[in-house]
Amino acid sequence: MPELEVRGLTKRYGRTVAVDDLSFAVEAGRVTGFLGPNGAGKTTTMRALLGLLRPSAGDALVEGSPPVEMGDPLRTIGAALEATAFHPGRSGRNHLRTLAAAAAIPRARVEEVLEMVELTGAADRRVKGYSLGMRQRLALAAALLGEPRILILDEPANGLDPQGMRWLRDLLRAQAAEGRTVLVSSHLLSEVAQTADELVMIRAGKLIAQTTLAEFTAGGGSQIRVRASDLDALASGLAERDAAVVRDGEALLVSGLSGEQIGALALARGIALHELSPQQQSLEERFIELMGDDEESGS
Amino acid sequence: MSLLRSEWLKLWTTRTTWVMLGIGLLGEALFAGLYPGLASLGDVERELGEGEIATGVGLLMVLMLVLGVLTITTEFRHGTSSSTFLASPKRYPALLAKLAAALLVGLLAGLAFVAVNGGLSLSLISGRGGDLPGAGDLASVYAGVVVSFALLSAFGFGVGAIVRNQVGAIIAAIAFFFVLSPLPELLPGSIGEYFPAQALGSLHGHLEGDGTLGQVSGGLVLAAWAAGLVAIGILLVCKRDVAD
Repeated sequence: MPELEVRGLTKRYGRTVAVDDLSFAVEAGRVTGFLGPNGAGKTTTMRALLGLLRPSAGDALVEGSPPVEMGDPLRTIGAALEATAFHPGRSGRNHLRTLAAAAAIPRARVEEVLEMVELTGAADRRVKGYSLGMRQRLALAAALLGEPRILILDEPANGLDPQGMRWLRDLLRAQAAEGRTVLVSSHLLSEVAQTADELVMIRAGKLIAQTTLAEFTAGGGSQIRVRASDLDALASGLAERDAAVVRDGEALLVSGLSGEQIGALALARGIALHELSPQQQSLEERFIELMGDDEESGS
Repeated sequence: MSLLRSEWLKLWTTRTTWVMLGIGLLGEALFAGLYPGLASLGDVERELGEGEIATGVGLLMVLMLVLGVLTITTEFRHGTSSSTFLASPKRYPALLAKLAAALLVGLLAGLAFVAVNGGLSLSLISGRGGDLPGAGDLASVYAGVVVSFALLSAFGFGVGAIVRNQVGAIIAAIAFFFVLSPLPELLPGSIGEYFPAQALGSLHGHLEGDGTLGQVSGGLVLAAWAAGLVAIGILLVCKRDVAD
């Protein structure tokens, strides 16, 4: 049984369909990146998994049951939804204390998570004075409070500095290594590419792909960039061999042939090669290609 | 019990509750200190005889209503309702805990009111050689005030849960309680007694007017209004989505 699952999840707001017949499952022991442009329905899906909104159709399930039936909620799911959901006049420590009290979590655990997110020094200041990064870390501390089996984090990297990002990656990896379930959303692939084992990509409320990061990386088509003494002659020679050739300024982008084949062809035609370099299409490019232009569903 | 502890902590870990109680009690200290000290002794004694013991109770009444509204609307305003309901996914347990906290803070404010009013007003009057009401009258009026503060806070909580928007809920609660609900008093007959404003008057032991409801009945009428609003509010919050 997957730890988290949505089945045919649909959420409508009036005429707008935020999530459209979405189905995917999230397993324990790995980090699952939940990717999509702003407005794709990531937050809506996460809120449905947390029982904060009722699906218009379909189900959102936590450990096989609807989230409202969770027995010990804070020890089951920890969530960091948005870095602004604090009372500005309450201190970070008191925010955590109110949550800890609700689930009878000992005071010592509050100090522990404050230490983990390195907020101990600022814990008695009112949240009003926190930077975005500090709020993100406070939200993470709240999510970790009950040592939950499942973590749901919505754009947790927003506002973190590079050290913070690195710290977050290590934390998520460690949580997954302990056998916990981690679902982390982002609109940027690069934020999760170094962390996620599994990717769930959605766009306009629909599932685009669910794949492992390894598959996604391997799936990129490769091109070879070629410069030569006589580009036109080389281009026509390549075309005869059914290679796809694109002119890129003073170079050609060739796909469908290996470097060896291109080199042999150039030698046979008496053309001197000036450059022959494989171009791995970046993950980000593939991601953008998959997501397409998404102007109509921007946040 | 742990949810109640959480709600109680929430009340006292922002400045709002402290500031509102502070303003209310300071205002009451001014009323209770100035009026019995400066007005003519005859006037003061006559009003005491008519049951006007709780001088200046109006300010804290409004503040209790507003504080009740704030207990719930602050959560929606700042988005903390998400974390509250994550800890209580069925939502109504957290809402009942919040209601209990609102009732408790009302009782506490009522007791503080009694301490300030009794301590200042009564000692000033007796210091000027005035006659004080009997202990029984005092006790019943003060008990009415304490209960009314708790009920006003619950009333505000109910309106807040229904309206959700903070400013809108404060305006709705004050307008309904202090502007609309006294209107039926103008009608012939005793229909007005079954509306919150006059029921509150009965609960406070006001003896004037053609009211026939006693203190306990007045309290029950007010409690019924509060309970009705709270029930509707809790149902709505449980049913509606928790927006961002």
